Amino acid sequence: MLPGFHHKLEQQQAPAFFARGPSPLARLVFFSALSLVLIATDSRLQYLTGLRQNLVALLQPLEVLANAPSQLYRDINEYFSTHNYLLAENQRLNQQALKQDIALQRLNLLMLENTNLRNLLQANKTMVESSLLGEIMHVSRDPFTKKIIVNRGQRNQIVTGAAVVDATGVIGQVTRVYPLSSEVTLITDKSLAIPVQVERNGLRAIAFGNGRNNTLDLPYLPANVDIRSGDKLVTSGIDGIYPAGLAVASITKIETSPSSPFAHIICTPTGGIENHRQVLLVSIPNNDTLSPNATIPHAEKGQTKTERSAKGPQKASENTPVKHLPTNTSKPHAPE
Amino acid sequence: MHPSKLKFVYLSIFAAYICLLLPWSNTALLLRPDFVLLVIIYWLIRAPNLCNIGTAWVVGLLVDLATGSLFGQYALAYTVAAFFAVYYQRRLVLFNHTQQLFYVFLLLIISQVTLLILKMFAGAQSLGWTYLLPSIIGVLLWRLAVFFGLKTGGRSRGA
Repeated sequence: MLPGFHHKLEQQQAPAFFARGPSPLARLVFFSALSLVLIATDSRLQYLTGLRQNLVALLQPLEVLANAPSQLYRDINEYFSTHNYLLAENQRLNQQALKQDIALQRLNLLMLENTNLRNLLQANKTMVESSLLGEIMHVSRDPFTKKIIVNRGQRNQIVTGAAVVDATGVIGQVTRVYPLSSEVTLITDKSLAIPVQVERNGLRAIAFGNGRNNTLDLPYLPANVDIRSGDKLVTSGIDGIYPAGLAVASITKIETSPSSPFAHIICTPTGGIENHRQVLLVSIPNNDTLSPNATIPHAEKGQTKTERSAKGPQKASENTPVKHLPTNTSKPHAPE
Repeated sequence: MHPSKLKFVYLSIFAAYICLLLPWSNTALLLRPDFVLLVIIYWLIRAPNLCNIGTAWVVGLLVDLATGSLFGQYALAYTVAAFFAVYYQRRLVLFNHTQQLFYVFLLLIISQVTLLILKMFAGAQSLGWTYLLPSIIGVLLWRLAVFFGLKTGGRSRGA
């Protein structure tokens, strides 16, 4: 019976023209399952990180090829820039350098003074960061995320988590490092949060990227919080990633609604996220240079936050952690 | 068909991939059509024996790599779109240009919606209606290619 059955099958074999291998449905199920497994592996486990790094390095020549036309255009533009323009720019830059030299002299003096004062207080030294200049290669090709690709990578000792700033403020943070490039998540990305401080009154908060438009949100602040439109936000430095005092954003809009206990605060980043080509990658100092009570900032973050929402904003300026954490001297308070 | 055609399949996909790698930004990024998927759909309709769901999947992985998204997101989106292209391929070649155009638009939308669902699961937030603009641009590109003499198997009206 069985041999006969086989014989029957052989007779029914389709001609080559109609043979198309496994059915589309079978292929769909197979490849969908494979993709789902890959997505799960990539999002939850770290197995594919190394593979991705190597493959992106292989992709590098293609990217250079794709970037060639725009690079050529820019080069030609630069080549034909006029004599007058260059002269004017040179003059402007010279003036800027002069101004900054003067500012730097004052800064040196202040730093010396600060060190002395810290020594007097027997406080810890402030963190010294090392930085590297990088150039933006292109914006991320994924429209869902706010990311840029910078031309510095593992070869330049860039590590994940390094802060990225430009001349006007904080831009973002390195989230993936490839051999020759690295991926920077901008502060406007939904997945990035940055601890900030209002320059005017030292109020601390955490700014979250909005994701959709180029703005930041300041959630979890009470409706009667002491924030005005136009206030400058600077990094507070308590995260150990961003150096303290860098400009992050300025408040553009404050909305309160009777239905919500929180204010709806929108700010625009000061850094030229979409404009500049050169950025500075600031790497995190090693753990041994951090203060021994390096864990305190996290505690104090939580404490001030809960307290703030409980007491209200009038006391925000008194809300410094000194009362609660008398041993914490590593972080200077913002000038009132 | 001719084995030499396989070369064209890979060359055209490669060219589309380079188009993807161009430094798109801001508005251009919002409008950028999915060149790679368009080329794959073309070959799925023209030569399903050279380019099948597997090809779409592998190319999808490459796109995942280029966009820096999770491995498998674009791959799955392309696989689903390729399935619908292959499943109705025999009917598709008999469609006239307008019908075909509509179907290609549907395929592009299917891949985009699949991608959107996957991204939402991964924690992204929706981009609003502008998200569907690349599909419209893509289908216009398809029409342009047909206008300039690309043979998609569709018959012009009245022929």
